[in-house]
Amino acid sequence: MFEREVIGILGLGVLFALLILRVPVGLAMIAVGIGGNYALSLALPFLKFEPYLKQFKTLLWGTVANYELSVVPLFIFMGYLASHAKLSRDLFQGFNALVGRFRGGVAMAAISACAGFGAVCGSSLATASTMGRVALPELKRLHYAPKLATGTLAAGGTLGILIPPSVALVIYAIIVEASIIQMFQAAIIPGLIAVLFFILVIALLVRLNPEIAPETATLSPEARRTALIRLIPVVIIFGAIILGLGIGLFTPTPAAAIGAMAILLYGLALRLWSRDDGLSLGGIKTSMLDTAVTSGMIYFILFGAEVLKGFFARAGLPAAMASWTATSGIDPWLLLIILLLILILLGCFMDSLAMILVVVPFIWPALVDLNGGDYATADSAAFGLGTEELKIWFGIIALVVVELGLITPPVGLNVFIISALAQNVRMGEVFAGVMPFFGIEIVRIALLLAIPGLCLFLPRLLSG
Amino acid sequence: MTKVAERLAAGFALMGGVLLIAIMIVTSINVSAFGLDRLARQFGSNVAALPGYEDFVRLAISSAALMFLPYCQFRRGHVAVDLFVSRLPERFRQSLDRLWLLAIVLLALFLAYWMLQGMLETQADNALSPVLSWPEWPFYLPGILSLLLWALVALVQAASGEEGV
Repeated sequence: MFEREVIGILGLGVLFALLILRVPVGLAMIAVGIGGNYALSLALPFLKFEPYLKQFKTLLWGTVANYELSVVPLFIFMGYLASHAKLSRDLFQGFNALVGRFRGGVAMAAISACAGFGAVCGSSLATASTMGRVALPELKRLHYAPKLATGTLAAGGTLGILIPPSVALVIYAIIVEASIIQMFQAAIIPGLIAVLFFILVIALLVRLNPEIAPETATLSPEARRTALIRLIPVVIIFGAIILGLGIGLFTPTPAAAIGAMAILLYGLALRLWSRDDGLSLGGIKTSMLDTAVTSGMIYFILFGAEVLKGFFARAGLPAAMASWTATSGIDPWLLLIILLLILILLGCFMDSLAMILVVVPFIWPALVDLNGGDYATADSAAFGLGTEELKIWFGIIALVVVELGLITPPVGLNVFIISALAQNVRMGEVFAGVMPFFGIEIVRIALLLAIPGLCLFLPRLLSG
Repeated sequence: MTKVAERLAAGFALMGGVLLIAIMIVTSINVSAFGLDRLARQFGSNVAALPGYEDFVRLAISSAALMFLPYCQFRRGHVAVDLFVSRLPERFRQSLDRLWLLAIVLLALFLAYWMLQGMLETQADNALSPVLSWPEWPFYLPGILSLLLWALVALVQAASGEEGV
């Protein structure tokens, strides 16, 4: 049926037009979903509109009453609690006490703290702004070159998104029906590579040009001890969550609930210890309200994606995409790289979660077909991976690429945030500071593309 | 009116947050029971974990998730993509913004209407949650109220004419 797909493609066009006109993403998806189904019912009388509308009796409730999805608000709540309990500060100061006395060490401490905090917090933008507030003053005090200081933090903000627990990975796993635990396992090695690469970049930069990091952190023994003592509980809590999820010791929902509980109790205990620290009632309240904003946004888009998916499926679009890619004779690797470039480009403008929700449902069926269909085995598949492993590998790479958009000139959102935080540092300077990190990220993406084993080693090992 | 909408929306969001804490507490009890059970088995006895844990989480989160929506609207948290609209003349921007807010009002009312139908149907069918056998229809109610509140918040925003960021 030809006409069906035309309506589908028109719907896609309308969707992009609405997005450009700054319609909230969830609203645009639902409007196109419902409007598109109406158009289909006009063109093809057997696709009736009435029964379609009746789905809405249970569709919304069915989407939110989902056990697996409950990890999303729980992780988000955990992140805000950690943020309000000022664990980001404890993390940075602790790492700083460990490595701050080496040249460039304060920047390296900032990178490590970004990775740890970003993992738990789950949002690149929030990580960049929180860590920026914590680490920028210290970097400034020690006369680090503004370019290095701001570049480090803008790039560091992107690190945590891949390291479990990652809300973006949960959502990807739910869309393509992959195992959340396996996605987490796959993310660990690529995540650690990124941290290592960033630290190497800093080491190299300060070696080539020692003036950009003229002073090292000098802490009194007293301050050093306090910082290290405070680091211990944070490392234990964060480490238990990250590793427990990473090696599959916990399943996601209990891990999120207990992680949030641990941070809540620790924050309250800190508060009892000293009135200026930890979580106050006001802090818990603000955490709840912030959680409502972020989770509300995600649930709205998730529901929008559900409605949109219904329309595209009825219009036969994924099937058409898949058969087009299969018959076009394009080289699978070339197409994969084009897809990734599109993702980088979109990542400059769009929230990464929104992007995964809008784009992955399209790309995924096409990719499976390119690879040789649902039942492809590793030997005959175009990418040399079976469907299940392709899911994992592509998810990790897609996420890395989406995050790269946050530091891509001229519009990377992380750069805007850091530039706003560090007064007197121009955008251009921050972008220049980000460039070495940007370069090494390209290397990492190439590595992950060339060696799928980097993503798949742990899931293979741990699933036996 | 703005104040009333804010208070209500924040109240709903906080109730959602309390539900999250309830899930955290129930999970902690459940996991401790599992742990104790392993220990107790060594001595030939056992400790029961909470039956229907997943059921409870599913029902609690269904209410919490929807209760977040009005406050998210109040803070203009629903993401939109700003490619060039912010560079347009203010008047145009504001009318556009107002139009989308009214669309949100319609959408929320549309969803509330159908969800109400869904609740009545679920009640008539006497649908029960799989393990706990709790009736599911009362859990539609917070959602329906949240959708109505969402419509109210968006309407107030459209009327006040303040542009979101």
